Amino acid sequence: MNREDELKAILEDLARVAEDPAAYAAAWKRETGGKVIGVFPMNFPSEIIHAAGALPVLVQEDNAPITLGRSLLYEFYCGYTRSIVDQAATRKFAIYDAFFLVDHCVALLGAADALRFEIPDKPIFLAQYTASMDEAWTPPEIRKRVEDLREALAEFCGAALTGADIEASIAAYNRNRQLLRHIYALRRKGRIALSGRQMQILVKSAMVMDVEAHSAKLTALIELLEAGTAAATGLVKLHLSGHFCHAPRPELLDMIEDCGTVIVDDDLFTGFRFIATDVPADVDAIAALTRWYFDRNSNVPCSTRAQMTVDWEEYLARSVHGSGAEGVIILLAKFCEPHMLYYPELRQELLRCEIPHLLIETEHEGLALEMLRTRVEALLETIRLKKAQPALA
Amino acid sequence: MSLITENSPPKLIVPQKAVQTNRLVSTRSGGKMVKDYWDRLFSARERGATVVWYNGAALNPIFQAAGIEWCHGEAFGARLAAMHLEGPAQRMGEEYGYNQELCSYARTTLGCAVLTHKEAAKYVSAADTADIPDIPSQEVLASRLPPPDLFVNAYSGCSTGQQWDEISYRLFNKQLPFFKVSYPLLWGNKADAGYLRGEEWMEASRYVAAQLHKLIEFLEFHTGNKFDWDGLRQSMHYIKRAAQLRIDALALCKATPTPAVFWDWVASIAPINFLPGNQDLVDYFAGVKAEIEQRVIDGVAALPGERYRLAFDGIMNWNKVGWLANQFADHDAAVICGRYTHSSFWNEPHLIDEDDPILGMAQHYLLCPFNHSTKTLGELLLRDCETYGIDGVVFHATRTCRSAANGQMVMAKMAQARGIQTMVLEGDVADASFYKDEILMSRLEAMLETIDVRRRAF
Repeated sequence: MNREDELKAILEDLARVAEDPAAYAAAWKRETGGKVIGVFPMNFPSEIIHAAGALPVLVQEDNAPITLGRSLLYEFYCGYTRSIVDQAATRKFAIYDAFFLVDHCVALLGAADALRFEIPDKPIFLAQYTASMDEAWTPPEIRKRVEDLREALAEFCGAALTGADIEASIAAYNRNRQLLRHIYALRRKGRIALSGRQMQILVKSAMVMDVEAHSAKLTALIELLEAGTAAATGLVKLHLSGHFCHAPRPELLDMIEDCGTVIVDDDLFTGFRFIATDVPADVDAIAALTRWYFDRNSNVPCSTRAQMTVDWEEYLARSVHGSGAEGVIILLAKFCEPHMLYYPELRQELLRCEIPHLLIETEHEGLALEMLRTRVEALLETIRLKKAQPALA
Repeated sequence: MSLITENSPPKLIVPQKAVQTNRLVSTRSGGKMVKDYWDRLFSARERGATVVWYNGAALNPIFQAAGIEWCHGEAFGARLAAMHLEGPAQRMGEEYGYNQELCSYARTTLGCAVLTHKEAAKYVSAADTADIPDIPSQEVLASRLPPPDLFVNAYSGCSTGQQWDEISYRLFNKQLPFFKVSYPLLWGNKADAGYLRGEEWMEASRYVAAQLHKLIEFLEFHTGNKFDWDGLRQSMHYIKRAAQLRIDALALCKATPTPAVFWDWVASIAPINFLPGNQDLVDYFAGVKAEIEQRVIDGVAALPGERYRLAFDGIMNWNKVGWLANQFADHDAAVICGRYTHSSFWNEPHLIDEDDPILGMAQHYLLCPFNHSTKTLGELLLRDCETYGIDGVVFHATRTCRSAANGQMVMAKMAQARGIQTMVLEGDVADASFYKDEILMSRLEAMLETIDVRRRAF
């Protein structure tokens, strides 16, 4: 196989995993006999499930229209939560042995609680992480919750789940994140030509696959990417921001790029936010997973957390300057309250920094892509006008 | 010259079918108590008082003992909506960038914060408002909140509630002291978990109690006032007595026909939620209970034509309380109990130890009616349905409040399994634009007809 074919084959393999996590999980279960545990976003430490010998799968939104799920959640919940209850109601969660979550999003908790009634044979364990991160008493509280997870998983999986087990898993996940961050760095520098859709495949598959198998694929992929050609020049560089918990539809990313742009960076959950922060290796496993929770928000602030000392908008502006992005598209999943609450702060900072931006609200039911194309094109006009202004002056 | 404020003339109301209802007379004094409270708060700045803006749990006894004045954000949002004066604040919020699908309480109070923080406040202090042509007069009330000296967030059962105050903090340039009380959802991982029981309940209670002690330290530090522990014990003594009177009075409504309805209890939310713990509060609820007792003795019904006994689940519909009360009365439907009135607001007074009230207070904050698992919510609903002889449950699907909407569809299934009829009312807590009045009426009529059919069948 030549380089292009090899590259294509790896991406297709990972795309199949990203598109059908249940099929991958079923194959993994057949092969290993292990348990498959669904986790809900956005702060769950998958390392601890991996250390227990199970496969952690970050449950994804699927593309199916919401049908039976309508009898569990109202239509004014975000697409992700409606999708997961619909997947439960339409019996798509058979492969999972249990579900675990640590996040306290009100919509997510409502959905998870509905799952307890819809699929009562599946344990659903909540170790609620305190979202307010400023107080001195929060870290010990989070440590207790990590201990709860360890206890519950050890019992559920019949595993010893020692500190050494968890540390080995931490190392495996850190390596995976480092590989993905390397690809992000190459993309920021314009050294590789990976589309938004392809980057999403890499991160989404990382949320689903066995971590060592995923890292092996990434290692091979990086070698091929580095041997390839640089990204096309002359395109408008964009940063994509937001879209918590689930991935924006790839066709939206295609459309944005089709307008003459290249996505150079992002802080999407199914993107850089997911892989930005390693678990520290200089403390015991439980302390490390505890600290990771705080480090993640310091590193890439998230408006689902309550922390006075960090600001997402400052991070965003800094990232834009760092990557050389010329504009920002904020992707907001409809009904996502933490994002709706924080959007004015982002907008003000982008205006203050004179960074052109556009807000696009996404919906599970689909997007009016051609209408959105007009708005993206208007953003690009603004960016081009801004670039032309110094010359005109 | 007066501004448009709480004494504004009511809007034109389309006449409804004349149905005789006997609303409680005793609750009227509560309205005056609440108005007096807000009027006094509006002058806090002039009096040199320290003001805390807070959201969530009824922390007011702690603020009272800390010697500061308190402004409950949701309560003010509710008050504006109930007076149909939420528009200016919500428009300001929208102009600032808040999406309409965001919690309407948050939009209202953040809009108030923007107004308070920016321009409108200065107009309030102007002696002659006739000289202010640019500010629509209704904005004035929305901007009358005294600016905060500190923030306290104590929102259980709703992640948005906590995030909303992060934004309030930022709207005031991140310069004010800010304390957050965090609550675990009473989820119930363990087999012994349940309402007021189990290891998780006690662990959560201790966790919140410890934070309340930290809050008191925070208040002492930032106000320079020594915390008045005796004052706290005293106010909790009054609150416990008032709460017990309220619970006793609620229980009297088991009678058929019921002597008071849900809408009467809605009128008593503000007093029990944020008025000072004192003898006035006790007297108010003693008066309410006495009136209901007398009604039971005299056989006076709240709704003389009572044919249906309903429960109301969800948060309040502040813009539409009167309208809803009339619609249900028109159909001879007595709404008797509700989650928001019956499973909230110091609803387990036996938990309060007057000598050492912090743990019992923490437990009540955890008992926020939106901080339970669906299983517990369903059990509480079925308990109330049995207690009050309920024929049907009305679920308020609150468009911008996922916290109140969580679990409702499962609870409806639980009720239906017991042969209790259910309906969903689409509305909102503080945004009237989300109502579909005619659909609501069709569904109500359909549910009542089904109740009739079942009665004939059995």
